Amino acid sequence: MEQIVRQKAIRQDHPVLQRVVHSVIYLLLTLLAVFTLIPFVWMVSSSLKLDREVFSYPMRWIPETFHWENYRLIWQRVPLVTYFKNTAFIAIVVTLLQTLTSSFAAYAFAKLQFPGRDTLFLAYIATIAVPWQAYMLPQFIMMRSMGLYDTLWAMVVLQAFSAFGVFLMRQFYRGIPSELCEAARLDGLSEYGIWARIMLPLSKAAIATLVIFTFVNTWNDYMGPMIYLTRDFNKTIQVGLRRFIQENSSDYHLIMAASLCSLLPVSVVFLCLQKYFIEGIATSGLKG
Amino acid sequence: MSLQEQKRARARMGKQERRNALIAYSFLAPNFLGFAIFTLVPVICAIALSLCEWNGGDVSKLRFVGLQNYGTIFNVNKVAEKGIGYFFSRVDLGIALKNTVFYTLITVPLTIVCALALAMLLNKARGAVAYRTIFFFPYVASMVAICVCWSFMLMKDGPINQLIMGLGIPFNKSWTADSNMAIWSIILVSVWRNMGYYMVIYLAALQGVPQELLEAATVDGAGKWKQFLHVTLPQLKPTTFFVSVMMIISCFKIYDVVAIMTDGGPGRSTKMLVTYIYDEAFIKVRYGQASAISMVLLVIVLLVTILQFRSEKKFSND
Amino acid sequence: MKKMLALVLAAIMLMSVISFASAEDAVLTVVTWDATTTPYLVAQKEAFEASHPGVKIEYVDVASQDYAVKTTTMLEGGDASDVFMVKEIDNIINWQAQGFAEPLNAYVEKTNYDLSGFVGTEKNYSVDDELYAVPFRSDFWVLFYNKDLFDAAGEAYPTNDMTWDEYADLAIRLTKDGVYGTHYHTWLSAVANWTVADGVNTLADRNYDDLLYFYQLYQKLEDAGACMAYNELKAAGLHYSAAFANGNIAMLPMGYWYVSTLIGYNKDGTCSFNWGISAVPHAEGVKAGSSFGNLTGAMINIKSANKDLAWDYISWLGGEEGAAATASVGARPAYVSETVAAAMSSVEGFPTDETSKGALIPSFVGMEWPVAEKVADIKGIVNEEHTLIMTREITPEEGIAEMNERVAELF
Repeated sequence: MEQIVRQKAIRQDHPVLQRVVHSVIYLLLTLLAVFTLIPFVWMVSSSLKLDREVFSYPMRWIPETFHWENYRLIWQRVPLVTYFKNTAFIAIVVTLLQTLTSSFAAYAFAKLQFPGRDTLFLAYIATIAVPWQAYMLPQFIMMRSMGLYDTLWAMVVLQAFSAFGVFLMRQFYRGIPSELCEAARLDGLSEYGIWARIMLPLSKAAIATLVIFTFVNTWNDYMGPMIYLTRDFNKTIQVGLRRFIQENSSDYHLIMAASLCSLLPVSVVFLCLQKYFIEGIATSGLKG
Repeated sequence: MSLQEQKRARARMGKQERRNALIAYSFLAPNFLGFAIFTLVPVICAIALSLCEWNGGDVSKLRFVGLQNYGTIFNVNKVAEKGIGYFFSRVDLGIALKNTVFYTLITVPLTIVCALALAMLLNKARGAVAYRTIFFFPYVASMVAICVCWSFMLMKDGPINQLIMGLGIPFNKSWTADSNMAIWSIILVSVWRNMGYYMVIYLAALQGVPQELLEAATVDGAGKWKQFLHVTLPQLKPTTFFVSVMMIISCFKIYDVVAIMTDGGPGRSTKMLVTYIYDEAFIKVRYGQASAISMVLLVIVLLVTILQFRSEKKFSND
Repeated sequence: MKKMLALVLAAIMLMSVISFASAEDAVLTVVTWDATTTPYLVAQKEAFEASHPGVKIEYVDVASQDYAVKTTTMLEGGDASDVFMVKEIDNIINWQAQGFAEPLNAYVEKTNYDLSGFVGTEKNYSVDDELYAVPFRSDFWVLFYNKDLFDAAGEAYPTNDMTWDEYADLAIRLTKDGVYGTHYHTWLSAVANWTVADGVNTLADRNYDDLLYFYQLYQKLEDAGACMAYNELKAAGLHYSAAFANGNIAMLPMGYWYVSTLIGYNKDGTCSFNWGISAVPHAEGVKAGSSFGNLTGAMINIKSANKDLAWDYISWLGGEEGAAATASVGARPAYVSETVAAAMSSVEGFPTDETSKGALIPSFVGMEWPVAEKVADIKGIVNEEHTLIMTREITPEEGIAEMNERVAELF
């Protein structure tokens, strides 16, 4: 409401200029959006072609004949349903654990004083900086000895406690004024209470972000499942997708069709959590 | 206050501090336990491995060699003899380092500016849901599909070059098949893919910027630009810290786009640190050297992070 | 396509049946790639299980492009799968050095296993005269050609005795009206590996001057428009199988494995033209019918609990019966005998002309990459310079000078 009023006020100042600026911005945004979408248009078009038509030259945006059967074929060629189920299981459990534990830990890093805080935090960041390829082997040997190899739980424990979530949440919590916590402490709330009643409600947007990222990253992870999951009934979508790329031939039309299908669930998650970016949070009455 | 009272007060304080620390640790524990077992321990093993020679097989074949791996990857003997220019033009590590740093220096600012601009434009704007979804889409799509797709887009007579030619610029090179352009194709795909991702982070952070501050600024007669510079940007500082650290790290670790699109080529023009690590570990099976290269990566990233961490603390005074 | 699908579905169903196989069945786990879609793997499994009642083969399917990483990690982690298939010679050399491969000489002696059918190729799997794996597939390169395009141009089909210069002239003559005379896939092997066909040069001999002739030949063809440009192929990721199947490419030097792909294409209607194979051209002064190739084999995991059974399997796989199963779907077994050659040429869909049959028995097969010190490093260097020559950023002479210099620096 206030914003509309304000915008009106400005518009009254320079009505024409304001409208021109707005139109230009929308035009640019639309152009950028079109540019962003071009590859997807190509993906959709390729997914409806025959294998040898995908890279035929000159390129055709609209396939000669629409091969809708590609979308049936992908479910028959590989057990895609199983792959979807596995991926969904891993993604959901990881997202839950990650969000919970890292928002908990992030509170300590952002708002509490304790010895070794900065060192520990740097250790967290440092592990993000080590490429996975470098410690994959020790990790694998360890996981195997724990009997987690080729189980979905391997992927869960590997991704649920990543330093990424802690880092993200810590940064958001730091944006929340410390005075709020102080006030709550004076009111007799315990630290756990502050976390549950003040931090969590205030960080809805951040949690939505973390949920989306964790979900997307887990959903699209390839290297992890490739190494840790071996039997067919344990594999995930991204590993399954690569089954269309073989040593001596690649079915790019099927890869495109299958990756478009795998895009759907993630898009749904994103759309559902969208609203938290618009809602904002009730910070009225706070001073920055 | 008597000496005794002071002592008692200090003891009480100490007790209080210990209690506080315990509470803090209890917050950390669930995450830290998982993190320590599944990430920290293997990482420490990798650090130790960089001082050993191990070409796989039984762990008993592992041999401590000190800094020898580092000597090999830096090719110290040759570099000492022929100068630092040799390192950056001939030695694999030097080339990978040069490419990775170049890629990072271009990609990080470009992505941050794009992400922040998009977030500002799409924050609370009409029709924003559709735009936001569109810009986030690239991050959601599976890597192998989009890389194949982009390789095709960037062909000699592909759509991107047609677009450039349409703007009147004579250009018809195949991006991925040209030593000078190949790295730009990696940059283009990275910015395209990540811009929406960091936009989402900024959008979330923008929800935390108190309305009153913005209003106060408007009342003071500040224009939109000034409002952005003096109110919004400082409020976004923790997020910018996060975004830049994460971006630098992920740029230094760039792997999959390169592996699928250029495979480090043509020649060594897109060889990156992690493609090099991958080669050493799994093609040439020299785990010690692979670990040593990751340590080089770790040290660089850590230095940059500590610098940023310091400046973050200085600005937020805590 | 339908048959292929049925085959795949059958394989999947078979797999699920196996997981519930009765308790008495001995199960042998075999780590391999593209398990459900590679026809010879399906054929081998069926034939082995039919001739060995009570034994079931269970394939562990690994993505082909990540085979080295995944298998190395598995072995390093103590995986006890019984058999690992050897995709590249490098695999077995590494596994042997790391102590994951069971030495096989004792088994050979115990079972009086006849190695003569491998015509010496098994030496590539030996270290210090100890055998570590049994080869079961040996793909050498042949020249595929589209008979319909030759007929239309009024040219005689390629013979099994053609020099590279004759081939280049032929390719240029065939190039017209949207037809490409020949096609080179982007690999180093498709362009420059021919040098090893003389039995003297190898790609690890630290001198690459002998590659010059082949790079110049390639550039001559590319300049004449007789083949698609490397830059385009690379950017589009165009696969040679789809390119040749399009029907506007007259010749294609490619590995023998492509035979089974083409037979499949003919069956499912992906392409309908007539094709044949001939021996690859040879350089002046090199025996006609010389080529180069690659081995695929199987090793026993040292941690396997069923080593004797695993030996039964890999010895069967490499031997005459396994070879017959491999050949029955158009793949070329490593074991060579009259029976096997007959089986190869009698596969449904294999060209019936004499030249094609003659091409089945090469006069010499060099190894694409030999077993040599630091061969993985050399491979990396040669491939890097290869891409620069192919994109024409440097001349072949400059590229070869770089190869010589950089490889020399390794030692």
